[in-house]
Amino acid sequence: MKINNPRIWLWLAAAIVVLNGFFPALWIFMTSIKGEAELTRIPITYWPENPTLQNYVQAFREQPLARYFLNSLVVAGFSTLLCVGVASLAAYALARLHVPRRNLILSLLVGVSMFPVASLMVPLYQIFVELGLRNTYLALILPHAALSLPVATLTLVSFFAGIPRDLESAAMVDGSTRLGALWHVVVPLAAPGVFTAAILAFVNSWDEFLLASTLLPAKAMRTLPVGIQLYQGEYVFPWPLISAALVVALVPVALVIAVFQERVVGGLTQGGVKG
Amino acid sequence: MSERALAIWLLLPAGLLLGFVALYPVVRLIYTSFFQFQLTLGPEGSFIGLANYAAAFEDPRFWNALKNTVLIVLITVPGALLVGLLLALLANLPFRVKWPVRLGLLLPWALPLVFVGLIFQWFFDSQYGVVNDWIMRLGGERQFWLFKPDLAFIAICFTIIWKTSSFVALILLAGLQTIPKELYEAAQVDGASRWQSFWRITLPLLTPAILVAMIFRTITAFQTFDIPYAMTKGGPGNATETLAMYVRVTSIENLNFGYGSALAVLLFLLSMVITVIYLRYIRGADD
Amino acid sequence: MKKLFWLLVAVLVMSTALAQQTRLRVFVGGQQRPDVMRKIFDLYQSRNPGVRVDVEVGGATSDQQQQYLTTVLASRDPSIDVILIDVIRPAQYAAAKWADTLDKYLPSATRQALLQQYLPAYAKANVIGGNLVALPSFADAQFLYYRKDLLEKYGLKPPVTWDEAIKQAQTILAGERNPNLNGIGFMGNISEGTVCSFLLPIWAAGGDVDEGGKLVLTEAQARASLQFWLDLMDKHKVAPPNMAEKAQDTIRQEMQAGRWIFGTLFAYAWNRFQNDADSQVKGKIGVVPLPRFEGGRSASCLGGWQWTISDFSKNKAQAYKLVRFLSSPEVSKILAIDASNLPVFPSLYRDADVLKANPWFADALPVVQAARARPVHPRYPEVADVMRKALNAVLARIKTPDAAAKEVIDGLRAIYR
Repeated sequence: MKINNPRIWLWLAAAIVVLNGFFPALWIFMTSIKGEAELTRIPITYWPENPTLQNYVQAFREQPLARYFLNSLVVAGFSTLLCVGVASLAAYALARLHVPRRNLILSLLVGVSMFPVASLMVPLYQIFVELGLRNTYLALILPHAALSLPVATLTLVSFFAGIPRDLESAAMVDGSTRLGALWHVVVPLAAPGVFTAAILAFVNSWDEFLLASTLLPAKAMRTLPVGIQLYQGEYVFPWPLISAALVVALVPVALVIAVFQERVVGGLTQGGVKG
Repeated sequence: MSERALAIWLLLPAGLLLGFVALYPVVRLIYTSFFQFQLTLGPEGSFIGLANYAAAFEDPRFWNALKNTVLIVLITVPGALLVGLLLALLANLPFRVKWPVRLGLLLPWALPLVFVGLIFQWFFDSQYGVVNDWIMRLGGERQFWLFKPDLAFIAICFTIIWKTSSFVALILLAGLQTIPKELYEAAQVDGASRWQSFWRITLPLLTPAILVAMIFRTITAFQTFDIPYAMTKGGPGNATETLAMYVRVTSIENLNFGYGSALAVLLFLLSMVITVIYLRYIRGADD
Repeated sequence: MKKLFWLLVAVLVMSTALAQQTRLRVFVGGQQRPDVMRKIFDLYQSRNPGVRVDVEVGGATSDQQQQYLTTVLASRDPSIDVILIDVIRPAQYAAAKWADTLDKYLPSATRQALLQQYLPAYAKANVIGGNLVALPSFADAQFLYYRKDLLEKYGLKPPVTWDEAIKQAQTILAGERNPNLNGIGFMGNISEGTVCSFLLPIWAAGGDVDEGGKLVLTEAQARASLQFWLDLMDKHKVAPPNMAEKAQDTIRQEMQAGRWIFGTLFAYAWNRFQNDADSQVKGKIGVVPLPRFEGGRSASCLGGWQWTISDFSKNKAQAYKLVRFLSSPEVSKILAIDASNLPVFPSLYRDADVLKANPWFADALPVVQAARARPVHPRYPEVADVMRKALNAVLARIKTPDAAAKEVIDGLRAIYR
């Protein structure tokens, strides 16, 4: 895949990926600057007739969106740290060490994610009520970390397994301990993998509704998905208002992830491969 | 420290976390599945052994939901893998500024499932939807996407593939990034075509990542709930009802926890069988 | 030493004061104007200094609240004392023993007198197997909204029977020649509103689903209902061919844009038609009771929300006092004025303050008085699922009314047994 490719193909490729990914998000953005009456026009409209920021004003006025954003950030941030930390250790063992009954452990690990969460809600709720953790961040950080643990661990296993052993051995000869080798050699090399695991865990937590609405129902503790659905009424689903809230909830986070991935992870990988 | 002891210490945190969150709920779920426990008949349950499971095998709604679920798995898992692979390959091209493409890859995954379902319900609306608007602009006929069984199924599978190919692409893109560029350069020196490089270098080195994506795509496909629930509520009739939807209706709406638990356990067993087959191919120290 | 003594006394006094204060936790949905509810609880607190009422605001739809409350109540969690539930839920709450029966606090004579003050249908909806399990908070019902301006233009009076409504719609559609104008809007997607659509023609013809807990619906009645709605699309051409995907609020938005002559919608639509800035139909909408068939009677689908006491509450006696306050005319009036919620007491529909805030309530009274409860059954969600999926499948034209009617009866028989 050389640089001297005809530029047009590169542009076409970019256009396909961007269009595929952006269209619904763009639709949401367009809806967020429309009035409700425009949604049932015949024929349908793409550009807003009278663009307005009123929906954003109203979204912030009706619900404490900033507070929800902060709650989501705390929950998603800490559950991602916990999940990726725990998953890195487990994945290293599963990829690099002789683990007895490895397949059984892998099956148990992924098996947990094969139950519909809805059918586990009652006992889960009981645990957190018994421990007095309901309506604390911990009540959501722990299940969210557990929820993403299987996918994060397996992603990391596949990455750790792909890193040449010689690099690691060389580091250990240099006097690093095994764990030292893990952090200094393996993790940077697996940076795209670690970061992907982190994205998966973060977004899983950021979007999760069922657990969040049950374990953190208090107004001051609501996460974004729980807060956003409150713009609804019994019969009405005000798309313009909800779109505005979705834009506020999604765009900054997605943008930060994408830029971070290019600047930081790209750099790490380059450094790792050269070193 | 022996290797074995180290392995146990490294696995312990994961075991503790999963054990704390999932052990009791899973045990309770399996236990409840052996009970006649339906709150609309009263607050107490009674032990009935495997009767709930026997009832499931005679329940046409269960078989219908099973059929829909398996079809969704068979269509959307390969679909998302193919589209995801294509997107990852495209996104891995040497763009000078990468973040817009990365953002394009990330956005479908970042959009919450429920809202994806609702947005695509709108896209497929026969009157106000973008899809029919384009079809009719191109001279086609108006289609009733959401209430004709086959069309509704297509619309749902399309939406699931759109949403989940992003997840696949994220995992595969990370895999692509770890393939050293030197390998391609060497292959080019040897006179290999681009196509040959793909089959001989990219695909083999990407296999572990593909497997991981496939395992989780399969598991989540068995759990399909939000998208059909938002788009069709399982309709028309029960034409697009999945097992996970039937589990939820049975437990949460109908308060039939015994039967709902048995259905959940059956769903678990089904995805376990498939996944154990995949897991054999995950590489590790023993191979 | 003296200091220590006084400190001890202070602690003692404070702790007894705290112990005397009862804390009640009330669950209300996010769509129920939590701000107005808070105002009402503050009023109660000011009159009952020993009680503190905390509000827990849940999801914004009946379905989402069911999801949460099922988890909380199936866990036997005592943290919620009083719950605001949808009118379709009391039978389920009673069967699951989630709701405390109110009879133990109410002598039966008082109970009779109390229930007679409310709109008649609530007595049926809230008395389960002879036990009173909930008291009404505010009412809701389906209305026939019509375009006053269009009917006047063609010299028509609001319809009393469905046949008149169909003929009027056809006349106006033929006269207006507006391709975007539609005749009679009704709910046909898979939703609770479609259950009401299924029931309306049955009630309008004088039938019902159950009586005294026994299934009385016949296959012929079910078929007639399904055929009726299908005919509006195919035979009478007063509804477009995609009614199977139309949600209630889509019809409301279309009617607000001036594109329906008639609409069977719940009470919320009125304020949107009248007050929304983008409404094309301000001052052009009237409401009447839903039409009947020749020889039948007018009936509307009852909605509304009920206060019930959790059986797991540790403060039931205090909770009961609160529920009596919440279901009193005083609170009903506050809800009517501040939240535009329909009162549950007929007398309030003639109250000057209420009418000043909501003049149209005068027209609403005959409708809510004729409103009927959907089947009261512990397995109501299954009953509803059978009915709405049948109508939806007929409107989607994947089942004939004959086949769907047979499935409705078979499905209901299995539930009623």
